[in-house]
Amino acid sequence: MNFFKSMWQEFKSCPMGAIAKWQDERFLWLVMAGASIFLILVAHTLFQHYVYMKPCEQCVYIRFAFLCMAIGGLVAAIDPKNSVLKIIGYVFGFWGIIQGIMYSTKLNAIHHAAHSDNPFGVQGCSAEPRFPFGLPMDTWAPDWFKPTGDCGFDSPIVPDGVELSGLQQFLVDFYADGWYLFPASHSVNMAQACLFAYIVCFILLGAMGASWILKMIQSKKA
Amino acid sequence: MGFKLPRSLAKGLALSLLVATASFGFTEGTDYVKLEKPIANADKTLIKVFSYDCPFCYKYDKAVTPVIVPKLPEGVTFRPFHLKTKGKYGETASQLFATLLVKDQDNGLKSAFDEKSQFKKAKMAYYNAYHDKKERWDAGAESFLETGLKASGLSKAEFDTAKEDPRVKALLAEWEQSYEVAKVQGVPAFVVNGKYLIKTASITSPDGMVELIKELLTK
Repeated sequence: MNFFKSMWQEFKSCPMGAIAKWQDERFLWLVMAGASIFLILVAHTLFQHYVYMKPCEQCVYIRFAFLCMAIGGLVAAIDPKNSVLKIIGYVFGFWGIIQGIMYSTKLNAIHHAAHSDNPFGVQGCSAEPRFPFGLPMDTWAPDWFKPTGDCGFDSPIVPDGVELSGLQQFLVDFYADGWYLFPASHSVNMAQACLFAYIVCFILLGAMGASWILKMIQSKKA
Repeated sequence: MGFKLPRSLAKGLALSLLVATASFGFTEGTDYVKLEKPIANADKTLIKVFSYDCPFCYKYDKAVTPVIVPKLPEGVTFRPFHLKTKGKYGETASQLFATLLVKDQDNGLKSAFDEKSQFKKAKMAYYNAYHDKKERWDAGAESFLETGLKASGLSKAEFDTAKEDPRVKALLAEWEQSYEVAKVQGVPAFVVNGKYLIKTASITSPDGMVELIKELLTK
């Protein structure tokens, strides 16, 4: 408790200085890596396996973007005072975020076209996924990165003969029309939720990077 | 004199604007791409590469393809190519679709959208089962085949004989080219004259699509 209190004091007295100091420490980088890994695990373990919601092409790209952020966070966390490692952390982090924003925007457009009578303006799923730099993620880890679902649709599809537990049945019914933050009103689809997550990450990582650079400029002047 | 010049200028401007909008100005790269490996023997055709396991193929087959195909210029043939690599039962679906297209041809049907087309009946049955009813045929290929046979009114025995027809085999061999096309940007994929692949994301209306196809046919 005191830890957070002192952090808040620090932030209040000098926000930029506090953030610049924090990004020299491990915990923010571990938060970024941890949050990204958590989201990938939720998508894979809970939604894909437990609730039978198969990932589409854009969904596996979104996972890949979070994986980049996780790698960046872990590399920087080795020693955030080491500028080389930290720059690698920023590059992976921002690159993942920007890729993620593009994938989720595209998925959102596909989602809307797929759910309306106007299928125009988007491209359907590709016959084979193409990851950045030609990385064969789908052959390296098919269970995680091979698209098996339909683009724009993520409703649970339970295989024949599977006995669902009570909780599984509840979740399958809950997401019967696909993943929505508020399924009853069909509002905030998966793509929009991911987009929101990436934007939050962008703001946080942006504040970290900007504080670090400004601090460096200040100390050079002094 | 002082009035005439601006007026003629305005007229000229209006005219050139009209010409500019009428010619649409489709560009390579945004509206279409040239295939690296063109489809063989495809002059004067519009080829649609599709899969039963593809939501946008269903969307296009419900609302777009039946609208644009009758608007194609005289002498241009519409040809569906089923992609066997997509979907768990892609190969079985291709076999049945090829067989039914040959049947349709034998029955004298000219259009793949004819109400009597057995190909169309099977195709719509698969779309409907897969996308609307979320059927995945976990029982196996036989149960998958049954859906299409039932819809088209073909018996299993008839299918087993008919699929050995050399014309069916030739069609399937031709459809092997689908994968290279589908790889570029996915399905549905529309190819004009076997050479020009339409970029689906640039299509904003059925009429615009017809205009683009017409322009590509003249290339």
